[in-house]
Amino acid sequence: MSINSLVCSSATEAARLLGSNPRARYFGGGTLVMRAINEGDQSFDTIIRINDPELTQMQIAGNRLVIGAGVTMSALLRHRDAGFLHAAARSVGGPAIRHMATVGGNLFAQSPYGDFATALLALDAEVIVADGSRMALVDFLARRNPSSGPTPVVTQVSVNRPASAGDFWFLKVSRVKPKGISVMSFAAHLPRAANQLQQVRVAVGAMAPTPVRMLSVEQALEGHALDAASIEAAARVALEGLTPPTDAIATSWYRSEVAPVHLKRLLTGAMR
Amino acid sequence: MIEFRKDLFADERDDNLNEVGQPTRRQDILGHVTGRSPFFDDHQFDGLTHLKCVRSPHHRARIRHVDTSAAERMPGVHRVLTERDIPVNRNTLLALINFGKDDEPVLASGQVNYVGDPVVAVIADTERQARDACAAVRVDYEVLPHVLDPEEALLPDAPVVNETYPNNSFDYHEKYDHQKLRFGDVQSAFATADKIVEARYQMSPIEHAPTETNGCIAVAETNDRIACYTSTQALFFSLGTVAKVLDISTARLHFVGGTVGGGFGGKVDTVVEPLAILGCLLTGRPVRFVYDRQEEMQVSSPRGAERWYIKDGVMNDGRIVAREFRGYFDGGAYTRLSSYAVIKGTAHLPGPYTIPNVSSNVYGVYTNRTPASAMRGFGITGVDFAIECQMDRVAEAVGMDPVELRLLNAYRDGDMKAHRREAKNCALIECMQVAAEKSGWAISDEFKKLSSLSGGGGERAIIPHTVTDEHGKIGSSRAPGNTIPGSGYQPAAAPSLAAAASTTYTAAPAASPMPASAPAPTHAPVSSQPPATQAPPSRTPVRPGASSAPGGTVNADSATRPATPPPSAPASRPATSARPRNNNRFSSLFGTRRR
Repeated sequence: MSINSLVCSSATEAARLLGSNPRARYFGGGTLVMRAINEGDQSFDTIIRINDPELTQMQIAGNRLVIGAGVTMSALLRHRDAGFLHAAARSVGGPAIRHMATVGGNLFAQSPYGDFATALLALDAEVIVADGSRMALVDFLARRNPSSGPTPVVTQVSVNRPASAGDFWFLKVSRVKPKGISVMSFAAHLPRAANQLQQVRVAVGAMAPTPVRMLSVEQALEGHALDAASIEAAARVALEGLTPPTDAIATSWYRSEVAPVHLKRLLTGAMR
Repeated sequence: MIEFRKDLFADERDDNLNEVGQPTRRQDILGHVTGRSPFFDDHQFDGLTHLKCVRSPHHRARIRHVDTSAAERMPGVHRVLTERDIPVNRNTLLALINFGKDDEPVLASGQVNYVGDPVVAVIADTERQARDACAAVRVDYEVLPHVLDPEEALLPDAPVVNETYPNNSFDYHEKYDHQKLRFGDVQSAFATADKIVEARYQMSPIEHAPTETNGCIAVAETNDRIACYTSTQALFFSLGTVAKVLDISTARLHFVGGTVGGGFGGKVDTVVEPLAILGCLLTGRPVRFVYDRQEEMQVSSPRGAERWYIKDGVMNDGRIVAREFRGYFDGGAYTRLSSYAVIKGTAHLPGPYTIPNVSSNVYGVYTNRTPASAMRGFGITGVDFAIECQMDRVAEAVGMDPVELRLLNAYRDGDMKAHRREAKNCALIECMQVAAEKSGWAISDEFKKLSSLSGGGGERAIIPHTVTDEHGKIGSSRAPGNTIPGSGYQPAAAPSLAAAASTTYTAAPAASPMPASAPAPTHAPVSSQPPATQAPPSRTPVRPGASSAPGGTVNADSATRPATPPPSAPASRPATSARPRNNNRFSSLFGTRRR
């Protein structure tokens, strides 16, 4: 058998084909699936692509930014409206990877990859799939599992646009710079009203099987001013609910040791 | 930014060299940066087929049965190869230079000995078809106990990794299960040393991780010849090895190589060419066999793991008076180049320092890990890491600056090295002085004034009375009752006096000037001497260069045989005398210093 490649003109058609063939895999930018093909992954023999230009569009809708799933990291980096996501997009791979890697594909990247999804998570992202239904990214990631039926075809991701540039912070911790794989990554959306943090969202990547929200940290910060005391309180609960993985990049122990330190650095940077 | 320190050794060097010290362009760089260098995989052939291997998932297992019938019926499959298809299914790389026994099959026969050991090869139209057919091969394994640690492998009850070497260690000089080095009497020196510093060091295997993985394409040429486009670093080793295992004339093989997409020693083992060429011979189709990235990481031979025990006897003033090594090279399941790594490592001991008493036992050990082989300075890098860590420990033990300790103990011109060669063209002192100066590391004036040219020779040129022994004969680690890891020679425990012999070298005193063409001095080999059970240390001075071991390493075995006359001895001279011009410290031929 060789690999069959099917090109669809719409996401609904792709979803139908994926649903009917358990040995088919959706192919976005190819930075994950092409690697699996090259490595001889025998769990699939068909790849499905979509050539609908709709998937590569980006538009502003009120206080939200809607990003097509096929938008690449380098396309996003060229887009002024997505400026708040540039730090996260720049943290993905090297130039060659960013040229191919898509926003939609990043939602499926296995830990320790998926830094961009971490950023989306802190912006209350919603995922829009082929049949038009919407799902919070946090639920989407929680249910992301190849064994739980056919993978939904993501068409768009919608995120909050931070009111000011100083509200959104992203930090990727890697040992090799600038192209290293994450030891962990953090994203924090810290809107302030009357110097008090409101609607805080903090997410972390590579500290669990998928990027996750740090609910205890959010709670520790919510309603407080961002100062040394609240940062200290947040760092104390940084590990709550996390079981960091051990992989080629770092051990679980190491991740647990350094996570509070890096979180503190991110928040301290945001304070200034 | 390169700075040439031409003030050092200025009177010994001609500065009229055309290449050394001049900026130059690599001859292949234009092709590399313009993307025109032809790599093996740039050759395209009509009807190209692809070869993939079924590999062992176990560290060690007996193969009960191999069923390839389903794979043979898969679409696109041209041929399935098993051990029965290999004409001479046993080889070792260095057999081509008569070193070691054939111990490695091309495809496993009867047993697998490491995870990734190839069992079956499939040739199909596409890589995917070859992989799918590999997945359809059924191999019935009986999993056997395995050993992954070199010291555990030398225990009497350890599983036998490699039937060719049933003691799990390479046989040296057809006599010992390890490579010996003896110089002076370390035990007596330990007894008189002010401090003893002992430590264990170990290094894990390292993969070369080349951009281009190991691979080749074999294609039929006219006149019954096969052309092989290959990534190998060792074109003629590969040619000879393929001719041997396929039992065909080298005249039928046309190897094309030269452009290696990253080698670093990782492409000297002939692993892909025999199967690709055999596949081409059997199918008549061009066959491409390239490791995928996972195979490159798991199966291609890495730098081997090493473990070293070093024990130093040190005086309070920082002089190291005795150094003892016990080393283990983890060769993995088959020999490849680890046997040579042991010899090379031993030749390097005790590091670039003048130590009057040195003893070393180094084992080339088989374990159920990926076979290790060459990688950039292999044999040296690991033990150098251990030695330099040890130097820091010694410095700490005697409360000395680590750079000054190294300066104090460094080789100087005229010193005798442990393998009985005079140290010449030494420059370690000058290198460290410049490095200290550049890095702002303060060393005292006394050490700033040291020179490689002075203070060497004389007492330091003496080959001391040397205690030898016959511990660790081949098979002794398997002897019942031997429970000591490393089998062996445990000098501190109980050296057997009966087995100990002493060697006394007699020759002209070090200071006597001799013409360069002087006939070799006579030495008294130990066999002509009454066996001394514990001779008093003899300090008979020996002329530098009088050596009994032309190979650079010395073992007790060679010391007991009448030695061959050494090469013509260099003239000894007062250590401080300026050398005549043209007695070049640097060889213009190789751009390296003459030895």
